[in-house]
Amino acid sequence: MRFIFKTAYRQDIDLFKHTGQRFWYGSLLAVVLAGPLFLDSFYLGELALVYIYAIAGIGLMLLVGYTGLVSLGHAAFLAIGAYVHAYLLSKGWPLPLALITASLFTATVGALVGLPTMRMTGIYLAIATLAFAIIVEQLIAHWESVTGGYRGMLVPDAELFGLNLGDGRPFYYLCLLVMVACLLSALNILRSPTGRAMIGIRDSEISAQSMGIDLARTKSIAFAISAGFTGLAGGLFAHKLGYLAPDAFTLLTSIQLLLMVIVGGLGSMHGVFFGAIFIGLLPQGIAIMRDTLPPVIGQQPGLEPGLFGLILVLFLIYEPLGIYGRWRKIRQFFEEFPLYRKATHKRQKSYLRTERVR
Amino acid sequence: MSSVLLSTRDLSLSFGGLHAVRDVTFEVEENEVFSIIGPNGAGKTSIFNLISRLYDADSGNIEFEGESISQIPPHKIAQLGIARTFQNSELFEHETVLKNMLIGRHVHRKTNLISELLFLPGVAKQELQFREIVEDVIDLLDLQTYRDQVIGNLPYGIKKMVEVARALCIQPKLLLLDEPSSGLNAEETEDVAFWIEDINQDYGTTIIMVEHDMNLVSRASTRVMALADGAVLAVGSPEEIQNHPEVLRAYLGD
Repeated sequence: MRFIFKTAYRQDIDLFKHTGQRFWYGSLLAVVLAGPLFLDSFYLGELALVYIYAIAGIGLMLLVGYTGLVSLGHAAFLAIGAYVHAYLLSKGWPLPLALITASLFTATVGALVGLPTMRMTGIYLAIATLAFAIIVEQLIAHWESVTGGYRGMLVPDAELFGLNLGDGRPFYYLCLLVMVACLLSALNILRSPTGRAMIGIRDSEISAQSMGIDLARTKSIAFAISAGFTGLAGGLFAHKLGYLAPDAFTLLTSIQLLLMVIVGGLGSMHGVFFGAIFIGLLPQGIAIMRDTLPPVIGQQPGLEPGLFGLILVLFLIYEPLGIYGRWRKIRQFFEEFPLYRKATHKRQKSYLRTERVR
Repeated sequence: MSSVLLSTRDLSLSFGGLHAVRDVTFEVEENEVFSIIGPNGAGKTSIFNLISRLYDADSGNIEFEGESISQIPPHKIAQLGIARTFQNSELFEHETVLKNMLIGRHVHRKTNLISELLFLPGVAKQELQFREIVEDVIDLLDLQTYRDQVIGNLPYGIKKMVEVARALCIQPKLLLLDEPSSGLNAEETEDVAFWIEDINQDYGTTIIMVEHDMNLVSRASTRVMALADGAVLAVGSPEEIQNHPEVLRAYLGD
């Protein structure tokens, strides 16, 4: 076990709590930076996809895991980011500008969606965001002059200073860069007043309000940041797809994104990455499984969504803290080895709760 | 001489046919410890919820430092310097004591979203300033041992303390304590009396508390208001109230 000797308040603010963390996260960064040296382009592409999922996941985690607002409409933000980005590129905008504009535009849409949903929580909010996603899907399908409707829209090649970022290494580094930037901003938010206000809203709206937190404003900000990150992911995702069509952003995509943060572990940024790896690799796993299973099961048309749903339900029942929660338990087991008690993580139920004013 | 910090005039609130608060008028002076007592359902917590603007009054007015606060949105109340605790603790369960208390500093936030996204030096400086105030409160209430513990794992008595600590981080002029001793044992209740005195004297905070424990009330408070069925029975010193015929009738019956 490690005991940290704290001598300055600064230590509680720093992103890395001790030199061990600095070393391990540094090593991880070195490994992913060196990735292109020993991975071929297929695996690089898959890894880039994981990064894109992670960017969207960071956004969704801030909303679901930290503010406690469930969204079933994040595919719409992904779509808006993708279409705006592709549209601006086709108008000749440079890549960084198009990407940032797409993100800011999506964030604005997010804030607007956040406003009317202010008084809703839980299932009602989930349904409202679901409705929003369906509206966006229809809008994309029918606004043919801009989006190309069902015929689709070709995404121009990613180019930066005359260098084709297309696929492979440059694109991998682009995704990595954006992901690290998003992660750092999210962590920054979480260690400053706005992030704490979000957490306050998640745990108790009524006392958050008494602490002077403006619920409407903070929820709207949470929606905006979440949508902004997801829009950024959408822009990168557009390059990954190469060709945009409304059926790339359906309810299943939203569920996939939600599955990612829940399976990864709500309320932790580590969870986003566990979830992103899981979601990124699951379709491959299912594809391999299809061949080995008997055709009656293996060739079922709804196998993928069915499995996604099943996994979500199993996680909610058996490991609500997700892969990250399980990982922490395993780590604690080894840290405390002969002394680990199974009951450490038994959830204690607390029945005392102020009668809700609203 | 002391001046009036908070006053209510003809405050009324009803839920359908139930009159929770009827024409309640009282004044709280600066620096005093003002207790509200009364049988269950007398409207004590409703008055708190009216002051913290969680409820809209049907009629009447509340003034704080001479300004009416009856129309102010609830999240602005803390900015004026009114902090409160809840009857059964309403803490941010999944966070540490430290984080909970830092949320109490939210009203003093001066940074904007962009600088927070980038965690500019100004934000870091503000965090350190917040931390100093938080540590000051931790020292006052002896919470050092629990600083990094998650609320969900704490015993009930400590949770109540943390709630008071969080409210104090606002550095309020007026602190509303909703049954600070409920669910505590005799020894802990004893402690409550001590820290109410500490808060009142060290920080000069005016305190209004709703309380059932008459021992605590008479030890800690300067004045007491007795309520029954939403109406004021009597206001006076703890001794006066304890011997007031109306109050005795409300508690003991005829």
